Amino acid sequence: MTFKKFWVMAYRDLLRNRRRTVITFVAIALGLTLVIFMNGLITGMLDGMLRDTIRLDTGHIQIRAESYEVVKTSLLWRDLIDNADELAARAAAMPEVAAVSPILWASGVLGTASESTSVRVSGIDPASALFDPIREGLRAGEFLSGNGRGQILIGQRLADELGVGVGDRINLAVGNPDGVPQEGQFTIVGLINTGFPGIDNANVFLSLAQAQSITGSGNRASTVRIMLHDINDTDKVVAALQTPGLTVMGWRQLNEFIMTTMETGTAVYSILYAIIFLVVAVIIANTLLMAVFERTREIGILAALGMKGRQIMTMFLFEATILGLIGSLFGIILGAIVVYYFSINGIYFGDLGDVAGSLAFGTSLYTTLVPANLFLMAFWMLVVIVTVSLYPAWYAARLEPIEALHAL
Amino acid sequence: MAAIELEHATKIYTIGEVETRALDGVSLTIEEGEFTALVGPSGSGKTTMLQLMGCLDKPNSGTVKINGQDVTRLNANQRADLRREKIGFIFQFFALVPVLSAYENVELPLLLNGVGAKERKERATALLEAVGLADRMDHRPDQMSGGEQQRVAIARALAPRPLLVLADEPTANLDTANGEQAMDIMARLNKETGTAFIFATHDQRVVAYAQRIVKMRDGRLVDGNANGSAK
Repeated sequence: MTFKKFWVMAYRDLLRNRRRTVITFVAIALGLTLVIFMNGLITGMLDGMLRDTIRLDTGHIQIRAESYEVVKTSLLWRDLIDNADELAARAAAMPEVAAVSPILWASGVLGTASESTSVRVSGIDPASALFDPIREGLRAGEFLSGNGRGQILIGQRLADELGVGVGDRINLAVGNPDGVPQEGQFTIVGLINTGFPGIDNANVFLSLAQAQSITGSGNRASTVRIMLHDINDTDKVVAALQTPGLTVMGWRQLNEFIMTTMETGTAVYSILYAIIFLVVAVIIANTLLMAVFERTREIGILAALGMKGRQIMTMFLFEATILGLIGSLFGIILGAIVVYYFSINGIYFGDLGDVAGSLAFGTSLYTTLVPANLFLMAFWMLVVIVTVSLYPAWYAARLEPIEALHAL
Repeated sequence: MAAIELEHATKIYTIGEVETRALDGVSLTIEEGEFTALVGPSGSGKTTMLQLMGCLDKPNSGTVKINGQDVTRLNANQRADLRREKIGFIFQFFALVPVLSAYENVELPLLLNGVGAKERKERATALLEAVGLADRMDHRPDQMSGGEQQRVAIARALAPRPLLVLADEPTANLDTANGEQAMDIMARLNKETGTAFIFATHDQRVVAYAQRIVKMRDGRLVDGNANGSAK
């Protein structure tokens, strides 16, 4: 009952200096909006990065030999899958699977008469929808044909470095499964620029059949890569595809490096959030401290009436809570609108994408709206507000009634 | 039992290097139900006396007993409890809580004392009627005249049914008519409720209402009327 009255008093006290209260609301709301926007932007960037990697490089799921190491492109017999086509057919039969195709990887050295550079050779099925994103990155020439005999597709950047173009012939040396080097000459049929440096800078594509024949690995493959209709089905499909002697990996495992980077990044950005929270905290502390000073005599009256320090403290904390709740509510709404807007329309960065090479196809950054994050940020904002309010509230509570009464 | 007893109470304020003996070994007994005026020029120690009696401050030496209990040994929370239950205050400025209506101001000490809703309503309403403000209950202080505000303050001081009400220059900011009205009300409520009233004042009109007059000068009592009762 008494508490109810404290809420009423806190609320009415906030209405006394409306301008200051409104300014404080605005500070909280804008602070929270900024934090929510930053969070949406960072989430959007990381999501985009992960989405691009999955789309262009790892897929949602891969089936590999048990001995195969994620980061290596080993061609050793034991690291290859014998029945890749059969596995692919099994996966393709599942309704959750959108596209599936075997891939053969090898390390190789790409050379012209004057230059050479080491590359990752990917043998792909040119007809598979799995490689549509690569096809979309085609900037000159054409994509690999059906059997792709004698054809090679290389990154535009790589071509520039080597000073070659469409129609030029180029040497590719790879090792075979026994470790013996094999060399062949290929015609560059197309140049690609996916915008994804991992692909553009150090990858060449052959047809799977061509890759298998030059490496002498028969009809074996390094991996069977799978794209799903819905990323959330990953665990389910991984479980269904388990086969003795083979490893079935989901996108999290396949992108461990990015996942770790994301976690580190999130930690770093937390510091930025903390700074914004701190700025808002200082504003709140200032507002309340001013209120305490203005109401020193009233605090004396309340103390004379027998109100205890802790009750006076509670009253000021209630004021802070009301400020925090209403300010945060506006912040959530505004933040959600801003993040939603940029998740649809993107933030235009000009041609930065091409220069930095870090944004796949993109010249715009898209934010990601995570509703749970809105409330998490608002919750922390509220925690910070109430925590910093402890000082002004404590200050009010420890005023001696006699001194408080003498004020003014 | 005496409502309040001061024994050799001394209060010294130190401002910079100057020591002021605001109260200098004063002994005074106030009986329950007394209507006492504390008179003397500015700086004679009236306000300090009220602050000690009201448990707002502690003496440097000597004791203050309320209903026989030595209050100088109590901590801040215990003194707050005592104020809440036993003492009502009326100040020179009309010390109402500005965000509360007249009714809520009177109700507040009852709330703090844990009085139930029904009884709160009865008591607060009755008191506001007694001070002639039945029709002003929902007004905030800034919607009331000084006289009305001071009457709300009187009602609020009496709400917890205190042992004594301490009033520091209650008429100083009121015109003659309002001042007399306030004094009439306090005199009447003193008789009706048996609550002791102690006024610090130099307003002769207030002194005229008093049953007992305690004169002060330079932190001491004049006339040696310390332990006498005017009754």
